[in-house]
Amino acid sequence: MNLILIALLLALLIPIYEAWQDDDIWQKMLAFASIATKTSILTLVISVLRDDWMIGVVGVIILSVGNAGLMLLAHLLRRMNYIGNEGTYD
Amino acid sequence: MTENYVYVIIALLPLTASMLVFQTNPYHALVIRGILGAVSALVYAVLGAADVALTEALVGTLLSVALYVVAVRSSLVMRLGVHQDSTAGAEDVCFKEFKDELRAILGKRHLRLELVPYPDAQALHQALMTKEVHATCMGRPKHDKHSSGVGVAEKQPYQIAIRVKHLHDILQSELFSPATSLTYADVSEAIKTDLGTQDLGRAHL
Repeated sequence: MNLILIALLLALLIPIYEAWQDDDIWQKMLAFASIATKTSILTLVISVLRDDWMIGVVGVIILSVGNAGLMLLAHLLRRMNYIGNEGTYD
Repeated sequence: MTENYVYVIIALLPLTASMLVFQTNPYHALVIRGILGAVSALVYAVLGAADVALTEALVGTLLSVALYVVAVRSSLVMRLGVHQDSTAGAEDVCFKEFKDELRAILGKRHLRLELVPYPDAQALHQALMTKEVHATCMGRPKHDKHSSGVGVAEKQPYQIAIRVKHLHDILQSELFSPATSLTYADVSEAIKTDLGTQDLGRAHL
């Protein structure tokens, strides 16, 4: 079980490196989505490992709500990009 | 709480925090703030503070990042009032060149350029005086070009009035466009004597 956790942590380092290196904001958003999902999966794995329902519920809520927040953020950034590129006033 | 993986997870927190601190672009920094929120929610959950983790995920990552994007988007912007026909006409290569150069200069400071079209020169001037826009870009009138001021209109097709002093200084030192040869009408002093200029505008009316 510890081996799974170490593998998950190593997988988590990949999008963190990506978010650090890449200059494109959409690549950063992709890395953010990846990290948000991976951390909540990690929370769920730990909850199973410890047999702790409290952490498990938190992991489920973060996993389900995180996507909504990501969509909201992406929409805000997309509109900004549109205004910036087209030069039109909304 | 003696598992070894806990230390590895906690080590992610200063890693992402230093990524956030050394980021200069505000939009990128907000996305990294979201990453930091996700990692810290994980850390709180692993350390047994489920309520803190939930609050961090819902408020710190979701709500505050969304609100900050709105705030940064509406504050880090230079609003340039332009004549309506100069934005509509695609034939204006000169204006597009100038726009691209201005956008490049502002982009270095993470500012956006937003063009606000106005129907005529009077509305443009009024918008500058009432602080609706930060700067106005006035093309020389077409009928002037036909009658007498052909040379001037060809040499300096656009006249820019900037209200913000700091912005004016930046543009004056960095905006080199010999082809378009822009002129600057600094109206930052006019704001101080706002009453006088408003009277002037009324006299013009």
